[in-house]
Amino acid sequence: MATTATAHVTKSWSGGKSPFNVEYGKLMMWYFLMSDAFTFGAFLISYGTIRFSTNGWPDPNEVFKSFPFAPEGANAPLVFVSVMTFILIISSVTMVLAVQAGHNMDKKGVTKNLIWTIIGGIAFLSCQAWEWNHLHHEGAWWGSNPFLNHDGTASTTNFTNYFFTITGFHGFHVLSGVVINIVMLIMTLTDKFEQRGHYLMIEKAGLYWHFVDLVWVFVFTCFYLI
Amino acid sequence: MAHTAEHDEHAGGGTKEIIKVTVILTVLTIVELVLGFWMIDIPLDQESFRLAIKGTIVILMMAKAFYIVAYFMHLKHELKNLIMTIVVPLALFIWFIAAFLYDGNSFRNLRNTYDPHFKEQSTIKVEKKQAASHGEAKHADEQHGEEKKAEEKAGH
Amino acid sequence: MSNEAVLHAHATTEVHHDAHGDHHGEHHHHETFITKYVFSQDHKMIAKQFLITGMVWAVLGGLMSVLFRLQLGYPDSTFPWLEDILGKWAAGGKITPEAYYALVTTHGTVLVFFVLTAGLSGTFANFLIPLQVGARDMASPFMNMLSYWFFFAAGIVMLSSLFVETGPFSGGWTAYPPLSALGDASPGSKTGMDLWLISMALFVVSSLLGGLNYIATVLNMRTKGMSMTRLPLTIWALFFTAILGVLSFPVLFSGFILLIFDRNFGTSFYLSDIFINGVGALPNEGGSAILYQHLFWFLGHPEVYIILLPAMGMVSEILSVNSRKPIFGYMAMVGSLFAIAILAFLVWAHHMFVTGLNPFLGSIFVLLTLLIAVPSAIKVFNWLTTLWRGSIRFTPAMLFAIGFVSLFISGGLTGIWLGNSALDIHLHDTYFVVAHFHIVMGVASMFGMFAGIYHWFPKMYGKQLNNTLGYIHFWATIAGAYLIFWPMHYQGLAGMPRRYYDFSAWESFNQFGDLNRFISTVAMVVFAVQILFLFNFFHSIFKGRKLTNPNPWESNTLEWTTPINPGHGNWVGEIPEVHRWAYDYAKDGKEFIPQTTPVGADESQH
Repeated sequence: MATTATAHVTKSWSGGKSPFNVEYGKLMMWYFLMSDAFTFGAFLISYGTIRFSTNGWPDPNEVFKSFPFAPEGANAPLVFVSVMTFILIISSVTMVLAVQAGHNMDKKGVTKNLIWTIIGGIAFLSCQAWEWNHLHHEGAWWGSNPFLNHDGTASTTNFTNYFFTITGFHGFHVLSGVVINIVMLIMTLTDKFEQRGHYLMIEKAGLYWHFVDLVWVFVFTCFYLI
Repeated sequence: MAHTAEHDEHAGGGTKEIIKVTVILTVLTIVELVLGFWMIDIPLDQESFRLAIKGTIVILMMAKAFYIVAYFMHLKHELKNLIMTIVVPLALFIWFIAAFLYDGNSFRNLRNTYDPHFKEQSTIKVEKKQAASHGEAKHADEQHGEEKKAEEKAGH
Repeated sequence: MSNEAVLHAHATTEVHHDAHGDHHGEHHHHETFITKYVFSQDHKMIAKQFLITGMVWAVLGGLMSVLFRLQLGYPDSTFPWLEDILGKWAAGGKITPEAYYALVTTHGTVLVFFVLTAGLSGTFANFLIPLQVGARDMASPFMNMLSYWFFFAAGIVMLSSLFVETGPFSGGWTAYPPLSALGDASPGSKTGMDLWLISMALFVVSSLLGGLNYIATVLNMRTKGMSMTRLPLTIWALFFTAILGVLSFPVLFSGFILLIFDRNFGTSFYLSDIFINGVGALPNEGGSAILYQHLFWFLGHPEVYIILLPAMGMVSEILSVNSRKPIFGYMAMVGSLFAIAILAFLVWAHHMFVTGLNPFLGSIFVLLTLLIAVPSAIKVFNWLTTLWRGSIRFTPAMLFAIGFVSLFISGGLTGIWLGNSALDIHLHDTYFVVAHFHIVMGVASMFGMFAGIYHWFPKMYGKQLNNTLGYIHFWATIAGAYLIFWPMHYQGLAGMPRRYYDFSAWESFNQFGDLNRFISTVAMVVFAVQILFLFNFFHSIFKGRKLTNPNPWESNTLEWTTPINPGHGNWVGEIPEVHRWAYDYAKDGKEFIPQTTPVGADESQH
């Protein structure tokens, strides 16, 4: 057993082929995502650093407690953001289904699931746009923080600074993900992948889209929950 | 073509697996939300209890991240070599996070010890209603206060 | 015997290929001037583009250092010709303080990023990776081309910042806030800083595009038989360099984005409690300037190794080839490269011991920093043992490689001093630091780069560089480098601070007046010698001795199995298969056995 494993390893690394059995594009996408993980990591870690070096911090439940068409003074913490989270998770699921359909050379399945993914992405972006707009009306923006710390003391602007910067950067990623997915959809509909004989491109777009979802898991936790 | 064929060999569990992972992610998110709602009612002075909940939420977050990367991003079904080249460098985050947060905390302690103004700021409660509705106005006030403070500093 | 026969057979096929080389290129695709020299997707041409752009920047950056050394060496003199070239920045023939700081800053930025990152690793990663792993080109030639043009754009933006009204950024290459975050802080912090940030952002994109390509190529596109442990050490070094870049540049990028917000959108990520003379108190509160330093040095320290590792890799290869001996401790060399790459990410805060960093955290950073001495020492001893009892050929490339080892030792040892947080209280921000990093990172890497250029010039252009000029270049440069930077250690120990415009106001530093003048004079001579090298380089491209032997150094690696002027695609016909590691020198009585030679039955332990 052990010897076969070693033989396998030696063979896969001995050149003339990919040691991971993946094409270079997917490898590059993975390493790009690693690098992007460090971009987001740096953002979130510096957010944490500033939060650790500040005495008080606003309570997210006091800040994010409204939702579209809510009555004045609604107090519904975590509700709207959980909707956003589920939208993104579901769009990730449809993306996996699109990738899987691609493996089976199922053009119809790819098209259907890509459309759902794009709709999910646009829905998420709309939610974010509403939330930004709402917070802006409350007086929150870069360099201006209307909210108080949890203990009732004055808060620094860094709460809103980081919120808008990081969710903005994430939103920008979602936007580019939607654009990529639209390009993939057009390429699918024009039979580009059928001609190539494989849907590997969808797989790479999928990796990117899941990464965006993954980042949201962290952003969601860091800003809304803790 | 040969490539895709090869690929399917370790393509994983198919639709069944996707549904399973979706359910797991949903459950984890719901548990997180329940913990979040629970935390609203826990008073601020029970700090260690709040921290424990936050810690649980972070662990759940890591679990969600694992499921997304392993199944949605398909990493679990790649060759072990690829898994290692991606997971091992991420270990750099451990020291990245630890050192940054430790130093952030230390910076707060430094300022609380040597910067009386900083310390004082965190004890003065602001009237809630006024501040919440006039964000911009408050900001201008703050600016004014800053100027005063700086003048004092310059005077010394 | 059988091996020799194979060798001969091999050589004849080479000649045969060569004759058809041009024909093959034409046959393949019709190239216009634009696709061949400007928007080329051939990794060899992109490498040359990186190299020559790097040279332009090296001349500009070097010239800047000559100008500010003029101020440091002759603080009381005026040079009317300075006003002719610098205008108001040298009113009355004396460089103004603003201009001085702008020169120092731009010199640092340009040399670190444009010359030693893009010019060194960009050139040789592009040139050597496909040739030495046996690939027709990079994984994505198009991205590779983009990588160069992003670098070019970064250079143009940086260049344009030299010509704006308020001058280029002048707050040091590390761009610490608040100086970099507040336009009112200094003239250079206005438009100059905006352009600096744009330029650096473009540069990050360039290095990311390049780095992803290098990694994918090394992992995925090795030719048959080229297992990872048969790779030449150059490739290992360039591989780790690419990983360092891909993982650390994004952190700098994040730091820059936060800085851009601080500059333009009223945030206070890095700002707190600031009063500017003439402006008043700023509303910013709650930020931490130390945070920026953490983010910057999380890239900044790996950056040092991004610069140094390619030089190490090339030096290992050149030392082995020209000692006619296998590299000593190949796996130890790979292991120490790996160890350095890991440690590079763990030690960043040793640049920040005196900034208000927590002292206990600092002590951990001391420990981690000193650990770097272990892999570094392994490398040094392996280089020395490679030289030991070799039949050394003192080509200019070899001399520069040996010079690299010498400089790496001299500069590395002072690193052990600086890595101690207690000693650093005295030494930080003095000329000791300047001496340390110039020797170990600046000049040593330049030597690695020169070694690489002298060694691979025949492969790049099919011509030979002039050896005599090469020897003059080497001896003048190594003597000059030590004469410039060695005395700075004494100045630093005496407490002379770096980045000061004029020391004559301090009685305690007046004693160094003559020494400063001496250093400045040597700096000018060394700069002139580099011009001599550039003359050699460009003259030899056109008028150099034509190469007749496709393998002029009798080297084992794959790039020498290509025709003398390889076309796009590198090999005519099949890519050769690899049967052995890259260091079979002086084995079984043979001078050298190329990697393409199959292992013979009568060979000793393989």
